[in-house]
Amino acid sequence: MAKLLSFIVLLFAVLGAPLFVVILGAGMIGFYFAEIPLTVIPIEIYRLVDTPLLLALPLFTFAGYLLAESNLSTRLVRLTQVFLGWMPGGLSVVAFVTCAFFTAFTGASGVTIVAVGALLFPALVEAGYKEKFSLGLVTTSGSLGLLLAPSLPLILYGVIVQQMDLPDPFTIQELFIAGLLPALLMIVLLTAYSIWSNRHNPIARGQFTRVDAIAALSAARWEIPLPIIVLGGIYSGFFAVSEAAAVTVIYVLVVEVFIHGEVRVRDLPRVIRDSMVMVGGILLILGVSLAFTNFLIDVEIPQLLFEWISGFVSGKITFLILLNIALLMLGAILDIFSALVIMIPLIVPVAIRFGVDPVHLGIIFLANMQIGYFTPPIGMNLFIASYRFQRSITELYRATIPFMFVLLVALVIITYVPALSLGLLDR
Amino acid sequence: MPRRGKAITTNQVPALNKRLHQFEDLVLVTALLSMLAMALLQILLRNFFDAGIFWAESFLRILVLWVAMLGAMVATRNAGHLSIDAASRFLPLNFARWISTITNLFSSAICCVVAYYALEFVKFEFEDKTIAFGVVPSWVCQSILPFGFAIMSFRFLVKSLQLAWFGRLA
Repeated sequence: MAKLLSFIVLLFAVLGAPLFVVILGAGMIGFYFAEIPLTVIPIEIYRLVDTPLLLALPLFTFAGYLLAESNLSTRLVRLTQVFLGWMPGGLSVVAFVTCAFFTAFTGASGVTIVAVGALLFPALVEAGYKEKFSLGLVTTSGSLGLLLAPSLPLILYGVIVQQMDLPDPFTIQELFIAGLLPALLMIVLLTAYSIWSNRHNPIARGQFTRVDAIAALSAARWEIPLPIIVLGGIYSGFFAVSEAAAVTVIYVLVVEVFIHGEVRVRDLPRVIRDSMVMVGGILLILGVSLAFTNFLIDVEIPQLLFEWISGFVSGKITFLILLNIALLMLGAILDIFSALVIMIPLIVPVAIRFGVDPVHLGIIFLANMQIGYFTPPIGMNLFIASYRFQRSITELYRATIPFMFVLLVALVIITYVPALSLGLLDR
Repeated sequence: MPRRGKAITTNQVPALNKRLHQFEDLVLVTALLSMLAMALLQILLRNFFDAGIFWAESFLRILVLWVAMLGAMVATRNAGHLSIDAASRFLPLNFARWISTITNLFSSAICCVVAYYALEFVKFEFEDKTIAFGVVPSWVCQSILPFGFAIMSFRFLVKSLQLAWFGRLA
């Protein structure tokens, strides 16, 4: 009976029922057969109130939506073009850096492709890059930067793990620092691939002139302090993460609404609503998962999972290989937020028993999910790019595959060289 | 068209619906702006006056819950919830319509059950007279749960019926 019901719930998941409904359904079956009253569900959802750091999530999301609404993308492309466009690989480096920065602040909701990719795609083609290459480049770049602060998935990972009461806790600051080198590695490898791939292809390079540099700096003068305020504030410990989020919102509001005038006051309710729909969707899944995963932990599922995996996996290395394969498949079907909320409470206890550091695990998890964004057949960014650039989805599959292999190489290095994530920390 | 008598005619439903949506948006926007104002006030008080409002932290956390629930309610108006959107992309349109009818009905039923138990939860807290912060009782803070799930249940039901009757969302 329980199996039949579970199958029905799973069927609804595949047919496109909202994930929070699916998790609730699964939880209800579990509680019912364990003879736990269902009142536990609202009680657990209400635990959202006791979850630390959660305040940062709506605030950073709102700030990100405001930035995406402004012309920041244009100024950012111009700025990076002046300072990085003269390098070998020129415009592709510009694309990677701009997208990484933009995604870190706007939270990888696909808006990077629409806002930045749409500017860069024609520019890349004009500079002499092949169309297929350019298409693959902007689609891949759409999720670059997930590992950089203050990206929402990074914060969400910290939030979920912190409420689990681990024996060896970590701070969000540590997580932010851990993402720096792995993100840099991805950018370096992608750039190297771009240069190699276009070695027979004459590419126009930009020129650095002082006049351009001053003009670009001047245009972006209000946004340049932003990473310094946010990241400097967080990394130095001057601000708590949620305080930095509040300061970011106010700063961005003042700059984009009152100084640049690119977001009108009467548009603010719409921007707030749209951003909070996203936050509501994520937090609702988090809330219902608190109920469900606690049930799973009560019936010792992570324990059983560990014993089951131990049956055929002996060491940390083999466990990590298995983990990567599982996460890549997961990332291909689930969006990053749902994957985080559902899987982290199960995976973290198991990974710790195999000797994986929870900070390193977070970076591995997100690196996998980043690739999931453009994994065929249903990676979200493939559909966004297909819609935005009016190309068939199969054309995008072909265009992104080489970039996917580059990032898989990066993933392997990130996974098997923990020092890359943990080297800058005292762990 | 307004008529004599108090019954709402079918023509008034979209207008009424629009008003309700606007009101819902207003509450959501107010909640977020209060959250922002409160967070800033705390930073200012802490850094410049070495002071703080002792219930601010609890109030902020409850606001996060309210914003989340209101956001989720608004998400239910359109297809704004996260889901595994695999099958529907590859299914024929007419078939997808019936699948969608059934998944919406299922979602409505699940939300209805949660709304019922959330109401029970709020009732217990009401009888226990627990205080969340200041003079605000816990049940007031929790009331968004049964209310939000009831609204979502209703919206999923309406969508399901619309899909079954008209084949699309009105």
